[in-house]
Amino acid sequence: MLASRGPLYLDPRTKLAMVVSSNLLMFLHAPASIEAVAAVLFAVPLLAGPRRGTGVRMLGLYFGLVAVQFAVAPLVGALPWLHLLGATAAALCMMLPCMIAGLSAVLTTRPGDFVCAMRRMHVPTVVVVPIVVLMRFFPTIRHDWRQIRHAQRLRGGTRNPLDALDRTLVPLLMNAVTVAQDLTVAALTKGLGADGPVTSLAQLRLRLRDAVAMALCAVPVVLALFL
Amino acid sequence: MPTASLTDVTFAYDGRPPALTDVTATFAPGECVMVTGRSGCGKTTVTRLLNGLAPEHFAGRLDGEARVGGLVAGQSSVQDYNGTVGSVFQNPKTQYFHANSTDELSFPCENAGLPSGEIHGRVRRAIMRFGIPHLLDRNVMELSGGQQQQLAVAAATVLDPGVLVLDEPTGNLDADAMVRLHDMLAELKRDGVTIVIAEHRLAWCADLVDRYVLVEDGRIAGSWDACEFAALPAERRREWGLRALDVTSAREATARLVERGLPGGEGTPVLATHDLVVGYGRRGLLRRRVGGFAKAVPDLQLFAGQMVGLMGRNGAGKSTLVRTLCGLQPACEGRIELDGRPASRRALTRGAALVMQDVHYQLFADSVRGELMAEVRDGDDGDEARAKCDGLLRDLDLLDLADRHPMSLSGGQQQRLAIATALMAGKRFVVLDEPTSGLDHAHMMQVGRLLRRLADRSVAVLVVTHDDELVAQWCDGVVAL
Repeated sequence: MLASRGPLYLDPRTKLAMVVSSNLLMFLHAPASIEAVAAVLFAVPLLAGPRRGTGVRMLGLYFGLVAVQFAVAPLVGALPWLHLLGATAAALCMMLPCMIAGLSAVLTTRPGDFVCAMRRMHVPTVVVVPIVVLMRFFPTIRHDWRQIRHAQRLRGGTRNPLDALDRTLVPLLMNAVTVAQDLTVAALTKGLGADGPVTSLAQLRLRLRDAVAMALCAVPVVLALFL
Repeated sequence: MPTASLTDVTFAYDGRPPALTDVTATFAPGECVMVTGRSGCGKTTVTRLLNGLAPEHFAGRLDGEARVGGLVAGQSSVQDYNGTVGSVFQNPKTQYFHANSTDELSFPCENAGLPSGEIHGRVRRAIMRFGIPHLLDRNVMELSGGQQQQLAVAAATVLDPGVLVLDEPTGNLDADAMVRLHDMLAELKRDGVTIVIAEHRLAWCADLVDRYVLVEDGRIAGSWDACEFAALPAERRREWGLRALDVTSAREATARLVERGLPGGEGTPVLATHDLVVGYGRRGLLRRRVGGFAKAVPDLQLFAGQMVGLMGRNGAGKSTLVRTLCGLQPACEGRIELDGRPASRRALTRGAALVMQDVHYQLFADSVRGELMAEVRDGDDGDEARAKCDGLLRDLDLLDLADRHPMSLSGGQQQRLAIATALMAGKRFVVLDEPTSGLDHAHMMQVGRLLRRLADRSVAVLVVTHDDELVAQWCDGVVAL
């Protein structure tokens, strides 16, 4: 029934470990070679699934920035302002593995599996429910935003940026309030917040591939620590 | 199967006069009952008492007893109704909790604490039962309104409740979606589910309903079985604020309008299109074309003073055409003329007004008068503008509300306010998106009269609508996409 998982589907907890590992690498200032290997590693879930395009683009960006650093290095003596370019590229390079890991975790995981993983890790309901609602709300807000922009263009814009903000936020928030009310009612009638145990459709198990993936994620961190 | 019943029920929301007074009604197992009446008559409150939302979530004072099987409103908690009473609401966009459709279907089961294997089984059975395998594992946001409503019914019945209550479920649906909803209810009725529908639209499920209960001003004004109700003169039902029991004649009148083509007019049309193709392209990685949408539109001519309907099923390109006509997106091919001159997107945006279905998106000011005065461009004479503003407010029955906050107005008042801003800005044509969705007969007629008055101010009016009754009664012509 949940066919879209594929053989490389990792447990959300494994992906969480991946995100943690990417952050550690950033804090540890891992050498560029380790960082590059990690970036490729974290992109694997994207490359193996339907989000291949995103993976390719992120890696393209990463290696493009690496190339910029290499290209800039020999010229810096002659043109000191190129430092700025090199430093920006280096800073972005440090952040990109984190972003790739984050995208891998969010884009390749079904929301239901996330919820299930959180419940497995005994995250309390008061945390789980707002996160679910947040995931539900993001696309809605994007849709609302577009509608409001259209309405504003037809009504003729304003030159005052504060007014413009006002004109966008008020309808956005008012609509969010209505949606939240409707959503609450619908969720209550479906038993959200009932006493008694809550179960999940998704059945998550840490498999061999999860263990392998976690070990792989640990390798760059260990190398960064001891090299 | 549990029996649902209201016994001597009087209910008043906190701080308000009673919404229901001395209501007694029994809904027998397997019966399909339509609770009907004009907007605000109290029929929604009947559904809320049956699914336990009132008085627990919608607080108020309840006298008498509202019971479904062993559950009593006010004593049992709302969540306990999960599995016994399923609920479907009006707006398909705001009643799904999960972003993924499979998660949404399993949501009631998860809350009931069923083991994973059984949830799988129930979800599978639900999609087989209603024949909706294509709705599995989808992003709910990307489904059409009709599909979202199908999902809502499937999710509400996944635990096999004995009672299903629906609160104006067709308010935002087109004709095709109503047929699909009808088929799902037919399936449930065959399985012996008690179905209670609060509605003023009668035609879409007339063959399923066993009994009609009319609510007027919070009291039960009558109860008829299906045959008796159909035998009542149509005039009576209209007086009660109900939509037609049989929309065939309206549909035929619409078809005749489509056949006749758009009426001509005098002078230059306000808006004319030539060989227009609307749509959007979508580009993937490396700017390769990966689909998109393009639709050729028959040449249109809209004249001042005319009211023209724009009809067509969901996905036919109505919204894309509207956005193109308003200059919000470029046309793929062809040209658009405004008052006889080829119009740029800028000129179209300046000449057009759009009254959205969710009209509150387009109101920003902190008062009704402020909303109109925001249209006044710098350099205009203050007193003159103010006089014009008050004149418009008077014409649209908004003058008493001039200092109110636009968000505190009712939907109909907000709609009139959006129209007033268009007139204040001197727009040449006004497009309205589904202005009568969810409206009872009286309010639909009110909107029709309002749009006619708008057209009489020498504005071209284009109404995007699924509402055959509105088109048949009020439109001068129809464009069918």
